[in-house]
Amino acid sequence: MTDAKKPQGDRLSEAEAIERAKQGEAESFEVLYHLHKRRVYSLCLRMTANTAEAEDLTQEAFLQLFRKIATFRGESAFSTWLHRMAVNVVLMHLRKKGLPVVPLEDTIESEEEAPRKELGAPDAQLAGSVDRLQLERAIANLPPGYRSVFVLHDVEGYEHNEIAAMVGCSIGNSKSQLHKARMKLRELLKTSRAEKAGRP
Amino acid sequence: MNCAEFQRVLPDIIGGGRSAEQEGHLTSCSACSGLVSDLNTISQQARLLQASEEPSPRVWSSIQVALQQVQSDLDLIAEQAWSLQASEEPSPRVWNSIEIALRQEGLIRQPQRDPVLAPRSWGWTRAWLMPVAAAFLVAFSLIIYQRVPNRTALSAQPGSTPNFLAGLPPVMTPGTSEDDQLLETVASRAPAMRATYAANLESVNDYIRDAEESVKSDPNDEEAQQYLMAAYEQKAMVYEMALDRSLP
Repeated sequence: MTDAKKPQGDRLSEAEAIERAKQGEAESFEVLYHLHKRRVYSLCLRMTANTAEAEDLTQEAFLQLFRKIATFRGESAFSTWLHRMAVNVVLMHLRKKGLPVVPLEDTIESEEEAPRKELGAPDAQLAGSVDRLQLERAIANLPPGYRSVFVLHDVEGYEHNEIAAMVGCSIGNSKSQLHKARMKLRELLKTSRAEKAGRP
Repeated sequence: MNCAEFQRVLPDIIGGGRSAEQEGHLTSCSACSGLVSDLNTISQQARLLQASEEPSPRVWSSIQVALQQVQSDLDLIAEQAWSLQASEEPSPRVWNSIEIALRQEGLIRQPQRDPVLAPRSWGWTRAWLMPVAAAFLVAFSLIIYQRVPNRTALSAQPGSTPNFLAGLPPVMTPGTSEDDQLLETVASRAPAMRATYAANLESVNDYIRDAEESVKSDPNDEEAQQYLMAAYEQKAMVYEMALDRSLP
């Protein structure tokens, strides 16, 4: 059982809260918010790399949820429905800001953004471990287009066909951008590790 | 297979489904196997970031404020909406049009009046209303008539209205040349509508004839007088609609 489905003491279960929220009951909105806030906020924060924007988007995602909850028919899990709504809120926000949700397939990348090609060269490895804080920072430093695909696939667990539909690209492009994002992250993590090792 | 070839196909094979040749290269090449290992580590570690962050309490505060504002707005709308119930009166033209259509389709008939049940005791008290209403209709029809090109020709025709409505313009008389004049006007400006208006006029003229007969048979019958007035109003309405539609 996930946290979202556990009744919390005398508080409402998720299913009860959903039904009562459909009737406009204020307490049930709060229950649903607390059940799902971490997942939604984390998604917003990873996608934007900005706490203020992430909070605004979390608020917007939940407000949309409460506006549309009457249309939830239980055909998919509530969390799936909510997170898809949150992803759409974030993607819409990125588009409004003019940021690339996903880079075009034939975009010529800048030297700074493109992952370095390492063909057969002797290579320092990450040695099977990645520090979580370093990974968070590295994700925040990814170019926005790479970041979206990486977060949607590797953090949120969406499949390439779902990502392609959400961001409006081909499945091949989604795979390609994910690979480039991972390569870029590897590079950023190695640089970060080297800098840390070089400090006195 | 060399490193360049392997890394070209890596985006498609990193999750599994590698060929024997690709597996062979991976086994023999430490650079590529290290790369694949790093990418898998990044991917696995990334999954742990899901739901790892807690929003600040002010996010829920903002949501609460927004929800309260929405509720307050909805309450206000509901309150105002209630006051709108039955607040508007349709124009009499609406019912007149409906009645004409219903009569045309034979869905309503002139009700058979029961001479025993017909109200008579109050007939004299309202009898004075008839000339007043007739005067109103005359004015109404004349205003409409000013929009007809050959007004003089139209008004020159004598009518056959009942005595108490002798002042009405001849246009109210069923089947006169005024009707033909109107239909010509409609045909000249909206030919497709002529047949519709011809049918409407025929229907309303029938209505007037029926009502006039009733009034003639019993001039003090209040109900009959009301039917006749309604019939005249309908004819005036047909003229008004015809001229509205056919005017450029």
